[in-house]
Amino acid sequence: MGSPVLLTDVAQQFAGRGPARLALDGVTLSIDAGEFVCVVGPSGCGKSTLLDLVAGHTRPVRGSVVVDGAKVTGPGLDRVMVFQEHALFPWLSVRDNVGFGLKNAGVADAEREATVTEWLSKVGLSDAADLHPHQLSGGMRQRAALARAFAMRPQVLLMDEPFSALDAPSRDRLHVELQDLWQETGTTIIFVTHNVREAVALGSRVVVLSSGPGHIIGEVAVGLQRPRVVESDRVVALAREVRGLLDAADQLGITAPRGGSEDGHVSI
Amino acid sequence: MSASEVTASTTAAEASAGVVRERAQRGRKALPILVTGVVILALWAITSAFVDTLPSPADTGAELVRMAKDGQLFSIFGRVTAFMGICFAIAAVGGVALGLLIGAHPALDRGLSPYLAALQGMPTSMWIPVAAVVLGTSVFSLGAVVSIGAMPAIMLATRSAVKSVPPLLIRAGRTYGADRGTLMRHVVLPAALPGITTGLELGWSIAFRCLVAGEIFSGALSGSGAISGTGIGSVIARSRETGDLTEMMATIMIVLAFTMLVDRLVFARVHHRLRVSRGLVDAGLPH
Repeated sequence: MGSPVLLTDVAQQFAGRGPARLALDGVTLSIDAGEFVCVVGPSGCGKSTLLDLVAGHTRPVRGSVVVDGAKVTGPGLDRVMVFQEHALFPWLSVRDNVGFGLKNAGVADAEREATVTEWLSKVGLSDAADLHPHQLSGGMRQRAALARAFAMRPQVLLMDEPFSALDAPSRDRLHVELQDLWQETGTTIIFVTHNVREAVALGSRVVVLSSGPGHIIGEVAVGLQRPRVVESDRVVALAREVRGLLDAADQLGITAPRGGSEDGHVSI
Repeated sequence: MSASEVTASTTAAEASAGVVRERAQRGRKALPILVTGVVILALWAITSAFVDTLPSPADTGAELVRMAKDGQLFSIFGRVTAFMGICFAIAAVGGVALGLLIGAHPALDRGLSPYLAALQGMPTSMWIPVAAVVLGTSVFSLGAVVSIGAMPAIMLATRSAVKSVPPLLIRAGRTYGADRGTLMRHVVLPAALPGITTGLELGWSIAFRCLVAGEIFSGALSGSGAISGTGIGSVIARSRETGDLTEMMATIMIVLAFTMLVDRLVFARVHHRLRVSRGLVDAGLPH
């Protein structure tokens, strides 16, 4: 079972030189244990910063981030991240990639071997265990990355646009597989995406961020039956609602003018 | 014959067929190398027919046989191998270790890199007279120049390779629980390995140049006692005095054979393995 995550009045600056610009300001978000929350927003709204804060890669300039009752002070194996690019180590086989975190956690060889084998079979990569990442298709690589993350039995899984670089068929399959894995493990998932339909299809709740600096402008609960797919009419209808929130915010803020209309064609 | 025996003999037959196939493949790979060698020999033979001072391949071959008979060939080969092996091992270990250190500490990098670049740009052999006067003309003096002289190139290549490790891989390493040491050993080092190998190759050639320069200057590797006057330095000195290049050409052949062996057996193999394991070679469809 996953852990609850609580962000209270969080503000954070963009990393790097130059005058400090706030990436996030006044973000308060409470996520229940085992909840699947999607965060959508335009690029530059601080979505990835939000994940970095929960992961412990950075600390907020204001506010607090609490996971499972404890304040986040640094990276930890209870919170693992899946990246947009697979970020597998190219010199390791799929098996060794999946076992990398377990090895660092000091899991004994036999147990590690068993866990790796189990997760490879769950993501359908048993036959590819000894291949290297470059020998896999894009979908298989991201599946290996999922296995690497789930094998750690994290309390919180942080996903940073993990499927946005994939072709549509691979993405659709992974959407279903991810929902299955989530239901099976009960991990808390924070899934960041700029794809509104993807957010609605996956999340039990969709949190909408707006940029300049990033703040929460709305939340949409998604009560549809799982597993959902992005093409389903209900998903598309709800996605339009979320899209409406985003467009309204864009017209108020001065950022990112978009020639979007109400017909939904922009919400890809 | 039982079923398992049949299977066993089939696998054995398959294995030997595999060996034969592998040999045929290696033969096909070796063929272009042989062809090029024969062409070069032919060009050399033609040139030497017109140029009186240039010994022909046949004369050089005869000289090589003589050198092999009186042990000079193996003596040169052995001395060069031992000297280069030891010096290069020191340069490689030191260079890579210091390069990793510089790559991980920006302040150190800013302070040292300009000087290292200057040292790398300067011909290392210029230090040989300095070392000869300060440390004497012993093998160790030349060894120090060769080992230390090859280091800046290896350090700089390692540092650049470390700096160009994709940040994403480092983030992934951290996310999956790698502490500083683990990150260095199991993420940064393997990710930087192709760049480091290139640096090692550069360091090797710098070391070799330096060795020959040292030989010309002091003949530190020319041996003493029974094998006195058989080193590269003495050969160079003799051919300068007599104008007879036969022994020189034979020695060049020995050194060429040595560098080619090192390239084929070490650097080319390492490069190939690194490229294959990282998917940089199009392996084609399995036939």
